[in-house]
Amino acid sequence: MARAEFPALFRGLVGRASAFWRAQWQLLLVLGCAVAGLLEWGLHVHFSRAAPAPEEWVALRPTVQQLLQRGTLIVVAPRWAEPNARLAFGDDWMPLRHVARADDSSFERALEISILGQHAAELEGWQLESELDTGRFLLRRWTNPQPARVLYDFMGQAQPPALSVSVEKGDAREECRFGKAKVSNGDLHGHPTFPSPRYTCSGPDWLFVGRTVIEDQNYQPRSCLWAHPPARGELVLRFDAVPIGATIRGYAGLPYFFERDEQGSPVDLAVWVAGEAVGHYRHVDGEGWKPFEFSTARFAGQLQEVEFRVMTARPWAREFCFQAEVR
Amino acid sequence: MSHSPDAAASPAPEPAALPEPAPPAPVRPAPRAWLARCIDPAIFVGLVAGYVAALLSTVRDLGYSRDEGFYFHAARGYGKWFRMLFSDPEQALTRSVLDSYWQENHEHPALMKSLFFASQHLFEKVLFDDRGTAYRFPTMLLAGLAVAVTFAWGRRAFGRAGGVVAALAFACMPRIFYHSHLSCFDLPIAALWLFVAYAYQRSLDTRRFSWALGCAVLYGLALDTKHNAWFLPASLVAHLSVRHVLALRRPWRGWYRLRIPLALVLMPLLGPLVLYAGWPWLWHDTWPRLVEWMRFHFQHVYYNIEFLGHTYFKPPFPRSYAWVMTLATVPAVTLLLAGVGGVAGARRYWAARHREDGPHSDGGPLLWLLCIFVSYGPWLFTSTPIFGGTKHWITAYPFLALFAGQGFVWLRSVLEQRGAALAGRHRAFGTRGRALLGVALAACLLIGPATMTWHSHPWGLSAYTPLVGGAPGAATLGLNRSFWGYTTGAIQETIDEHSGDGARVFVHDTAMDSFKMLQKDGRLRSDLRPWWTVSGSDLAIYHHEQHMSRVEHMIWVDYGTTAPVHVGAFDGVPVVWLYQRPSYQPRREP
Repeated sequence: MARAEFPALFRGLVGRASAFWRAQWQLLLVLGCAVAGLLEWGLHVHFSRAAPAPEEWVALRPTVQQLLQRGTLIVVAPRWAEPNARLAFGDDWMPLRHVARADDSSFERALEISILGQHAAELEGWQLESELDTGRFLLRRWTNPQPARVLYDFMGQAQPPALSVSVEKGDAREECRFGKAKVSNGDLHGHPTFPSPRYTCSGPDWLFVGRTVIEDQNYQPRSCLWAHPPARGELVLRFDAVPIGATIRGYAGLPYFFERDEQGSPVDLAVWVAGEAVGHYRHVDGEGWKPFEFSTARFAGQLQEVEFRVMTARPWAREFCFQAEVR
Repeated sequence: MSHSPDAAASPAPEPAALPEPAPPAPVRPAPRAWLARCIDPAIFVGLVAGYVAALLSTVRDLGYSRDEGFYFHAARGYGKWFRMLFSDPEQALTRSVLDSYWQENHEHPALMKSLFFASQHLFEKVLFDDRGTAYRFPTMLLAGLAVAVTFAWGRRAFGRAGGVVAALAFACMPRIFYHSHLSCFDLPIAALWLFVAYAYQRSLDTRRFSWALGCAVLYGLALDTKHNAWFLPASLVAHLSVRHVLALRRPWRGWYRLRIPLALVLMPLLGPLVLYAGWPWLWHDTWPRLVEWMRFHFQHVYYNIEFLGHTYFKPPFPRSYAWVMTLATVPAVTLLLAGVGGVAGARRYWAARHREDGPHSDGGPLLWLLCIFVSYGPWLFTSTPIFGGTKHWITAYPFLALFAGQGFVWLRSVLEQRGAALAGRHRAFGTRGRALLGVALAACLLIGPATMTWHSHPWGLSAYTPLVGGAPGAATLGLNRSFWGYTTGAIQETIDEHSGDGARVFVHDTAMDSFKMLQKDGRLRSDLRPWWTVSGSDLAIYHHEQHMSRVEHMIWVDYGTTAPVHVGAFDGVPVVWLYQRPSYQPRREP
């Protein structure tokens, strides 16, 4: 075909299509609606079977077992399917410290269980080790190219003798007692679970230190140390003989359900090493689960006392909670 | 004009703007007159009975929603007053007694709660074994009537087949099917809005006093059902105004001569009287209590609702919410049909308007359109709460369905036209062939909605259309998975299985009265103890909503496990799950 003929041919095609549409648009619309109806039906059938049912997750357990190594983080994509995975794999494979982790940086390996062609964005940058397609599930083993080396996990050590807790007002110091206490929690509008055991301070029941879980700005779980500041003075968490590394790194926040109203006073967290202030973190309502990192390079290699001092100007509903590690 | 057999039997005007008329159908013997007269009433009754039967057959695995628990409680209280009214009327009518009984749940009017009581009183252990079903029956009946009235209006507007398609399109909306089960007010107000609009249209068409009176009384009942009724007159007034403007002709003389229909005159007179008569809470301090009622709803607290992955709990709310949620929950083919019907109706009206002898009544489409706009209108404002999901604008859905019926009629007329042309060439293709084509078309258009609706049970609020990828797609997009804690009913057997005698069950979002009704009806064991808090419980139910994840976190820390013992999932998407305290050893007496 000569090049010059092409526009004419194109015009002819358009003209014929246009004439056909003018003559037949009503019939085409009828057919289009009927096809749309059948297509929607077909798509409904497809989507209703697209995602595996909980029983299929349970049946996946032997396959997952073969791919798991000790300490492997299980990541589910999309995230909404995670309850099915927790049902199937239980606490041994998906313990609270994994499910409510602060971030993924310290994990060496992850097993991504993916459905519906989804991928976990948090594993971007990890190296793919192996991939197994079972039809309904895609299981991918990932390795972290630069796993963070954690020298000391403050939350994991939050018990005697490593930790002592006190409320300090000027020179006055009142110790908080570690032991079993009554577990309590609210409902939707209540406080997170007050755990047992915990460091109980004298005063209101919220004045304690213990491990709990709060929700972040995406309503995702974050495991942390409850450290509600007292009405007056400071809540002091003192960890003895901490191996110091390059940094103290962590996250802090308040249950977002309350923080989002942005009506509370800022909460301050001061970090001291060997009696020296190394960093100060201020949490303002609405910021959500927020990271901090302070250099401790000048103490690196030493065993030192580390203090976390929590305070606020107005303690109403300051359900402060933080997590920290030495790296 | 189409000449299908059903249209021939119908007194309805045929769509004027539809394609060129098909050749007349071959003459066939007319059915007996009495049989012809019976067809439409039979369809009407069949639709009511069929829909109510479908609802009753599915009611037992649909848990009681949070609000139903409150209304059960209120209905019980009102019932006590009704009993006193018959036994000791003088005492019952004293102010202190009236106020003590009718104060409960006085943020909502009394009609439906009174009907819930009446149904329970009359039908429990007579028609229904379950008390909850007896409470729910009035809504089911209204839902059946709404389906049938949609048919009746559609039949008058565009013929019997279109009416049936409109009715089925309405019945086969998953959210409508869900709300039709509940002893709540959302489906009832949708039904009553439809009834009022239909009576209004009939009063215009027939100019009969009885229709105008019926319209006014029905409006009073709508007022006594739910506050959506406050907005209903706006659609009627807008209809009157638009009709008046459209009827004007140059040189615009007499533009100020607006003839107000009798129904619109009677509504403001009788409507409030019916409301007053049916709601004893208003019998004292009427004005302050009316103001309180209005203030409650105009200044309603904002609840949480997830939309596209974000939980909204205070204004500004997204303007796109109502439209996106409609697209995500109403079958797309129904919306497409409604669009076709809307355009076909507009073309028909426009064509008639330019004829001197054109119709002065459009039979309804303009009113349908305005009812849709008024129903959605509040969500044009970013301050209007969106926590109710789709239920707050379902008053628009019968009218969407009517447009869908009109769309079907237009499509079918095109098919008939082509069929007639085909019949010219092939003798075999006649009336029966065209009828078959119509049935096939209806089947193509309704099979999806019907399948989706049936499949959505008992997870009504978790159901989404393929447009967003169904339930899995909606979960990925971050659309609300459910609310009201009703899905306890979907895992009722599992709760029983995991519970020992007297187990304490944290009920989460299920209202205490809803949980107790499940026990009363034998759907949950009566020895189980509903528990307010996670602490102290043996089992914990968790109903997922994004902002409620904190309750699940409470369970993890308290129970010391992240692993549920059961996940109630819809199409693979977890909706409700059950935890059992690891230290709890269920014991059952043999």
